[in-house]
Amino acid sequence: MSPFGKATHLLPLVVGALAALAVPWFWSAHARRTLGDPAMVTGWWLFAVFVLLGAFNARKKLAALPLGRASTWLRLHVAGGFLALGLFWLHTGSLWPTGTHRQALAGAFYLLSISGIIGWLLQRTYPRQLADTGREIIYERIPAEIARLRDAADQLVLVATRDSGSDTLARHYLETLHWFFRRPRFFINHAFFGGKHARAWVRQQCDVVRPYLGATERDRLDRLVELAEEKILVDFHHAAQSLMKRWLLVHLPLAAVATLLVLWHVLLVHAYGR
Amino acid sequence: MTNESSTHRPQRWDTPFGPGLSDGEIDSLLARPEFSGIRADRFPAHMPLREILRNDTRIVRLDPGELIVREGDYGHSAFVILSGKARVVLAPGLPPELLGRHKARQKGWWQTISKLWQNRRIPELRSNRRGSPTHANASGDTGFETRLFVQDIPAALDKHRTAVLEEGAIFGELAALGRVPRTTSMFAATPIELLEIRWQGLRELRRHDEGWRRRIDERYRANALQSHLRASPLFAQLDEATLATLAAGTLFETYGSFDWHVTYKQLQRQNTPADEPVIAREGDHADGLLLVRAGFARVASKLGSGERTLTYLGVGEHHGLEELYEAWRSGKPRNLDTSLKAVGYVDVLRVPTALLEKHVFPTMAAPEQRFAVQSRRPLAEDGFMEWIVAERLMNGPRAMLIDLDRCTRCDDCVRACAATHDGNPRFVRQGKVFDHWQVTHACMHCVDPVCLIGCPTGAIHRSPHGGTVVINDSTCVGCGTCANSCPYDNIVMVAIRDGSAGVFRDAADGQPILKATKCDLCSDQATGPACVSACPHDALQRIDFRDLKGFQGLES
Repeated sequence: MSPFGKATHLLPLVVGALAALAVPWFWSAHARRTLGDPAMVTGWWLFAVFVLLGAFNARKKLAALPLGRASTWLRLHVAGGFLALGLFWLHTGSLWPTGTHRQALAGAFYLLSISGIIGWLLQRTYPRQLADTGREIIYERIPAEIARLRDAADQLVLVATRDSGSDTLARHYLETLHWFFRRPRFFINHAFFGGKHARAWVRQQCDVVRPYLGATERDRLDRLVELAEEKILVDFHHAAQSLMKRWLLVHLPLAAVATLLVLWHVLLVHAYGR
Repeated sequence: MTNESSTHRPQRWDTPFGPGLSDGEIDSLLARPEFSGIRADRFPAHMPLREILRNDTRIVRLDPGELIVREGDYGHSAFVILSGKARVVLAPGLPPELLGRHKARQKGWWQTISKLWQNRRIPELRSNRRGSPTHANASGDTGFETRLFVQDIPAALDKHRTAVLEEGAIFGELAALGRVPRTTSMFAATPIELLEIRWQGLRELRRHDEGWRRRIDERYRANALQSHLRASPLFAQLDEATLATLAAGTLFETYGSFDWHVTYKQLQRQNTPADEPVIAREGDHADGLLLVRAGFARVASKLGSGERTLTYLGVGEHHGLEELYEAWRSGKPRNLDTSLKAVGYVDVLRVPTALLEKHVFPTMAAPEQRFAVQSRRPLAEDGFMEWIVAERLMNGPRAMLIDLDRCTRCDDCVRACAATHDGNPRFVRQGKVFDHWQVTHACMHCVDPVCLIGCPTGAIHRSPHGGTVVINDSTCVGCGTCANSCPYDNIVMVAIRDGSAGVFRDAADGQPILKATKCDLCSDQATGPACVSACPHDALQRIDFRDLKGFQGLES
């Protein structure tokens, strides 16, 4: 048993959420039997779960308070997300409600749920892939890392030109690989397809010029390939870490929009519902 | 032609302990009974007695009530009373308040919540760069950079038992040589003149003079050895008389360099494996039970053309018991199955075989074959252990370990650390990686905290509450000794700033005023380490590397 405990899997959280759904289910069924308003029961349940989901973000801000471990909160947040989805269907009685306001609310809610699930999957997928690269790079230092590789590549090509007296490698570098070393490249390919295309592209550019180089220049080209391999690794770190950080830039604004629409919905229901 | 620059090779006495004793002072020292018996001709030519006294000692004059050593502090020197009297506080010791220590207070809810708006955007903000420790005032004329007084001496004498040490008494040598905390507090009872000997000089005196060696060993034997032996479960059933017999026959041995962290850092920079002195060699005749008294030792066995690390031993653990017991039981000679090597600096007690056979083996059960079990472990699981030993990580009982397979690099841990330390994170989420484990640059609160050695003011110290290594910001003079000593680069020197974000500078030379900073395990927080509780993925833990249960099948 690792001192880190077992990793959390999605299935138990979904099962837990479904089990928890039984409570409002029976409660609303009871309301229906007693001629009450089942939508009111599920609606308030949904609102309470929404507050719980939002509280996770507040927990992160209050790191110094003894509010329990963030990992427990995350589990509750994920399970609460699935519970909210179930409650939403229970509350509306359909997958897609009628009326513009309700449809806007449903749209925001679905997008919020999807972004949450995607975020969960990203956070379960990328860490291991990043660890497997055998190198750790702090996200904020990626630009500096790329600049270092670019400078090394530029220098290598300059030396190759000076030593050989030929500008073949330099011209080719300026036309192709310099673009590659300038900034992070092949984002989509790294993020979703393992960066195979990035490797193929680098190999292709190097193979194209190799027949026209002398022995010394070929040695320099081999070193350039090593730098390009390093750059591919940095690009993967950039793509993976960007996605792991930036999905929150979608999830949090959607959460804000959904919360505003929920509050408006509660207000409308209580103002005009009776 | 290559550019080469030349420099003088660093010498043993490039940095003397004090201003350096004059010839007259050395002559009068050598005339005293404590030194008159030393034969100067026994000292090697490169390490003459007079130079040891000149460079490794200093004369300290203190006023009545002034603390000489403080219980719990890590010292690196011993003392000889040249004139005057000192008082040693007998157990129980003085309360922390009387020793100028302040009890660590935990922040309340309101203090914690108010951090939300009180944390400033200015890094390393200090309201007053000198601080105002009530118990300390700066002085440099005696060599004691900061003078500490026992608060309220009459009350201390009324309520606590003390003993008087007279002229000629020697004390403090056990803490200096063994890198263990001072066990008692001592303060000047009268105006006192002391000869302070740093551990390097003390080591030479002990090495080259039989009288000093005997004196130090006898003091250790009288004061500490029996309790060390008593602490071992092997001797728990022995009565006091038998234990005293065992103690009388026990030998002291020291392996490795006392300042191992210096050479370790140099070797790390050169990417060279550290040299490990052999304490016991595999295949050799077992000639005594080895008990680790201080430091760490590696248990290894030959494998192919290399050597495999089976485990490492810390304080109180032993080597050779299985072989000695087997030899006694069978009546046949038995060689050692494994080697024992010093990892850094190790103090070992060697209990002779004859004493074990007479007093211990007849009443004990056959010992468990510990290393044999470990040698059956699959080789694939050795990497982690080898890495821990190579990186000296077993020194860390509270190391920050990140599982990179889970870490989403979200930096919530860093933000939580900053939120609990006035906006300044006290660790860097970087560090050495093995497989998917990263040991992050956060203070490990080491078993052997070499960072404490040489702190001129005692600002970095082990907290009496829980043993956390903490820094007193107000008494830190920013010399950087601790940061340079830390073998793991876990202490960061920072330039402190005022409310307008300007860096405080020394009025004399214009250099920034620095402070040493590091993880304090959130000792003033109700949550414990905020980094651990803030990780949403359970990817970060504080780990005791001496207890490896659960790590890839390894067990300590």
